[in-house]
Amino acid sequence: MIPQVHMSLLRALLRGRRRLVFRWRRTELDHELAEELEFHHALKQQAVGELSHIQMGNMTIAAEECRDMWSFLRLERLLQDIRYAARMFRRTPGFTAIAVLSLAVGIGGNAAMFTLVNTLLVRPLPYRQPDRLVRITGIFPRAAVPFLQQQTRTMDVAAVSPGSEYNLTGQGEAIRIVGSATSANAFSVLGASPARGRTFEAGEDSPGRDSLVILGNSLWRTKFGGDPSVIGRVIALNGVDRQIVGIMPPAFSYPSAQVQAWVPLRLDASNFLEYWAGGFVPLVSRLRAGAAAAEAQREIRPLIDEFRKTFPYPMARDWNRDSTAIPLQRDLTGDIRGKLIILLASVSLVLLIACANVASLLLSRATTRRKEIALRVALGAMRLRIVRQLLTESVLLSLVGGGLGILLGMGALSIFKSLLPSSTPGLAQASIDSSVAAAVAGLALLTGLAFGIAPALSASQIDLAQSIRTGSQRSTAAFWTRLRGGLIGAEVALTVVLVVSAGLLIKSLYTLAEVRPGFQPQQVLTVHISPNSSFCTERPACIALYDRLLEGARGVSGVAEAAIANTIPLDAEQPDLAVDVEGHPKSVDHPAPMFWSGAVSARYIRMLRIPLLAGRDLTDADGAKSAAVLLISASTARHFWAGENPIGRHIKATGERQWRTVVGVVGDVRQYSLSKAMPDWIPGAIYMPYAQAVREDGQIPAAMTLLVKTRANTDGAAREIRTLAQDQDPNVPIGQVQPLEEVVAGSIANFRATIRVFISFAAAAILLAAIGIYGLVSYWVMQRTYEIGLRVAIGATRSRIVSMILAQGLRVALYGIAAGVIAALAATRFLASLLYGVGATDPSTFAAVTVLVLGVAITATAVPAWRASRIDPIKLLRLD
Amino acid sequence: MGKPPAPELLPGTLDLLILRTLIAGPMHGYGIAQRLRQVSEDVLQVGESSLYPALQRLLLNAWVKAAWGASENNRRARYYTLTAAGRKQLASEREEFARLVGAIEKVLNMA
Repeated sequence: MIPQVHMSLLRALLRGRRRLVFRWRRTELDHELAEELEFHHALKQQAVGELSHIQMGNMTIAAEECRDMWSFLRLERLLQDIRYAARMFRRTPGFTAIAVLSLAVGIGGNAAMFTLVNTLLVRPLPYRQPDRLVRITGIFPRAAVPFLQQQTRTMDVAAVSPGSEYNLTGQGEAIRIVGSATSANAFSVLGASPARGRTFEAGEDSPGRDSLVILGNSLWRTKFGGDPSVIGRVIALNGVDRQIVGIMPPAFSYPSAQVQAWVPLRLDASNFLEYWAGGFVPLVSRLRAGAAAAEAQREIRPLIDEFRKTFPYPMARDWNRDSTAIPLQRDLTGDIRGKLIILLASVSLVLLIACANVASLLLSRATTRRKEIALRVALGAMRLRIVRQLLTESVLLSLVGGGLGILLGMGALSIFKSLLPSSTPGLAQASIDSSVAAAVAGLALLTGLAFGIAPALSASQIDLAQSIRTGSQRSTAAFWTRLRGGLIGAEVALTVVLVVSAGLLIKSLYTLAEVRPGFQPQQVLTVHISPNSSFCTERPACIALYDRLLEGARGVSGVAEAAIANTIPLDAEQPDLAVDVEGHPKSVDHPAPMFWSGAVSARYIRMLRIPLLAGRDLTDADGAKSAAVLLISASTARHFWAGENPIGRHIKATGERQWRTVVGVVGDVRQYSLSKAMPDWIPGAIYMPYAQAVREDGQIPAAMTLLVKTRANTDGAAREIRTLAQDQDPNVPIGQVQPLEEVVAGSIANFRATIRVFISFAAAAILLAAIGIYGLVSYWVMQRTYEIGLRVAIGATRSRIVSMILAQGLRVALYGIAAGVIAALAATRFLASLLYGVGATDPSTFAAVTVLVLGVAITATAVPAWRASRIDPIKLLRLD
Repeated sequence: MGKPPAPELLPGTLDLLILRTLIAGPMHGYGIAQRLRQVSEDVLQVGESSLYPALQRLLLNAWVKAAWGASENNRRARYYTLTAAGRKQLASEREEFARLVGAIEKVLNMA
């Protein structure tokens, strides 16, 4: 079977090559054939005497058929069709531009979205046998790593921390990088090999052997100049010396694209706090050979239950009860999957609208070209040939649109990328590649055929005599007209869906912008300062550093006030602390609550205009040696002491011996995001004076943000503040000075960008729909010119004509809007995750969109309707 | 434009006939037509409009090759020669044709 196929293929190729040679030597062959035929003639004449006309004719046919044999007949006809189509397009540049552009927008958007979906959701992760990788949901203490590694029979378990900031020193200017701590087997479990050097070896996560680091490719290039000899060199991360053992390839971006270095996750059972309580980590595993994902899932829950009992302190009974194993890819794309799918759906809607539009344009063009086509039919063109010609035109149109679309897609891709968290693994690698280009070409071809087939068929059904005589068809081909109406109606409906979506998002953004964050960010500058934790082992050293800094900052001209805080609102940091609350004893079912814990200097509350609701503010007198105090937020007071006076009550970090006294209640601040003050698992917020503050590891927070309130001249003050901070210690990395208002705006930048994209989708849709309606109504008017002229002649007024045309156009628009509203009601609930403060079926948005689309429809109908009213019956009748 | 007076050949048969004719040796177009006519006792009269396209087709498939030579009357004529591939093709087409004819006869002779 196979050899046969090969043979015939080979033969076809050879034939093609010979044909090419024949084509090449065409003139020569022509001469040869002429001579041969003449020779044949001569002999024949000799034999039978005079030749009849018929026999002469045979000679011509023979010559022609032979010539056909030498050429690529089909190809040449195609080229002819294409040349003809190009000529037609040049003659109608407006039509061509609209058609090509709408297709380019549709196809370009799809190319970009398809690339993203393909890269992030479809393409397998760049690891060995990626389908065998699973994430064990939930986070676990380090102790769980050896436990699970020893107990499980289905998986190889590794831990990879999500990444935290490290100070990199000993290599030029101190910088802050994101690093991830991994168990020694993490790289072999993932199946990722280093670009240079090696990864961690077994046992290198045990104390004493863990002073190692693997560099990410971008860090290696930017900070180490891509020097291969750095392997073996020692650098300091957070003041700990580590030897560089390997460099990862650029494509490796686990657990997120921000992580630039990997260090061993130290597993030290003797360090009780770190081993059991500090920094829970996510687990990633590779299914062992022969183990099915379902087996692993069945195994996990009993194992976790068993592990829970080994905790040296009581652990909540439902701790990680829902843990299961999910494919790693789904875990990595979990948050963005929904957003991607929404965007893909919207961009497909735009393409559908573009297709409907181009089909409708082509239909009307086919009508205006009736005379030409009828002439060609009269001259003997076959119906098939006409259809092919018209299909060639539409396919050519869509291919040009597709080519332009790929260019547009490259631009669109970078915009879409900005909508997704930049830490998404693989995002940076997403680019329009050959497979996407091929898909786009296919898509273009398909759309060309899809929107070309109806016009082509309609054009080929022509009543010859009628069309040649008048150039138009008064007896309208009702079916095609109805089809056009249907296309435009559908287009309007899809537009309504997109505009409603955009409207809901805009309303959400508006609501978000109106949200009172609970503080005033105006005129406040922030700069991040991050000494090593080791620097703060001695609390007084750290307190002194920041006292010096505050004093210096207050001396800068233009600065009205200065304060420090461990986090500023909306900067994505989460300083969580497990606490004991007086009067709320914890139990197995009610473990210690997690609080958002601020460490702030005196005057921080006043500087941000956070309202003091009861008690007193923190003051400079609340120092390291004075009584431990704290402030709580209003919602914390409500949650724990509803109807009681919280002042004088007590809270402490779990493990602390001494209680801290609540001295004041302040207003709630949107710390995490503008849309949500706190995650559900954080029932409270406290502010401790910096000198008394603790982190979960019992140390004083080292990395802080300096905030200054300026009077004027922000630029000069910003520069001075940064210099001041740098002068304190060259080994302390200093961030960029950022206005607090920018931090606030930045927290919803992603959302804003998403909305911009939706608005551009909606705008494109509305524009296309307007063009579609305009084209449809113009076509009606043109077809009914004669009828309208008659009506005017027998006394119809201008306004009557206008309202007649308007009514017809609006009927299509109204059907479309009605269908669109129903579709939008069904579709917008998929947007719910993106909305804030507005329902997915918000009636006012729906009403506004209906009015907007209707208004656009009226405008698009009015122009041709007005033109219809100007029809002069006298001229018209003379013309015919 | 009428059809050539010769009876209709089964499609593809002409190629087969030409190939068979060329077994005798190189021949020019007119010669082939004459030969077919003589052998078939005037039944098969192949017109130029079928013959020359057929010859081009055979050339394209490399079943025959063509070369210019001198004719009986000392004019320049184009002579067609069977190639090895053409011989193979003839054998297989002949077999195929025999099968077809046999089948037709069976149908015609059925009781």
